[in-house]
Amino acid sequence: MARSTKKGPYVDERLYGKVMKAKDSNDRAPIKTWARSCTIVPEFIGHAFLVHNGKIFNSVVVNEEMVGHKLGEFSPTRMFRGHSGGKR
Amino acid sequence: MPRVAGVDIPNEKPAWIALRYIHGIGPKIAKDICEKLGIEPSLRAKDLTEDQLSQIASLLTNDYIIEGNLRRQTQQNIARLRDIASYRGLRHRRGLPVRGQRTKTNARGRKGPRKTVAGKKSVKEMR
Repeated sequence: MARSTKKGPYVDERLYGKVMKAKDSNDRAPIKTWARSCTIVPEFIGHAFLVHNGKIFNSVVVNEEMVGHKLGEFSPTRMFRGHSGGKR
Repeated sequence: MPRVAGVDIPNEKPAWIALRYIHGIGPKIAKDICEKLGIEPSLRAKDLTEDQLSQIASLLTNDYIIEGNLRRQTQQNIARLRDIASYRGLRHRRGLPVRGQRTKTNARGRKGPRKTVAGKKSVKEMR
């Protein structure tokens, strides 16, 4: 079910704060985060994140097409390496 | 047979059913169209007047996204998901279900016909 519009998008506040701080000081270093459920808002555009997938941090550079999606959508949690046997 | 929106030739069905043969027109929009233009929904498609047909055509081109345009829009939406490498985009690329359905069984609509793998447990049991 979709989230209530009254509440607006869910944005992790600490992460948001960090992004704004980085923007003010022109800091381009990627932000490490576990906040996979945080919605990508326009302020994030152009910034790099390292999004945890349960094991490692995947780097995600946000562009304007990603706005409205969640950070976790860009850091896959499962890795399929193929079935046994496979092709000869 | 009447022609609406280019290639679509709805048949001898009532107007509000016949309109659904157009890609992008479902029960709701078909009913809306009939109401807006004051067409009796049960009127057979073949009995629609030229005037009514042109009214339908202009309404469709102006207010609704149908047929080729709709298909293109859908494809663009999917292409966007693929390009930004979101989880949904990855599932589209792989040809697997996109909305979290199980894939251990079922999901045949996305995966296509079964590919039997030799040596798999279920195959051994059959012998």
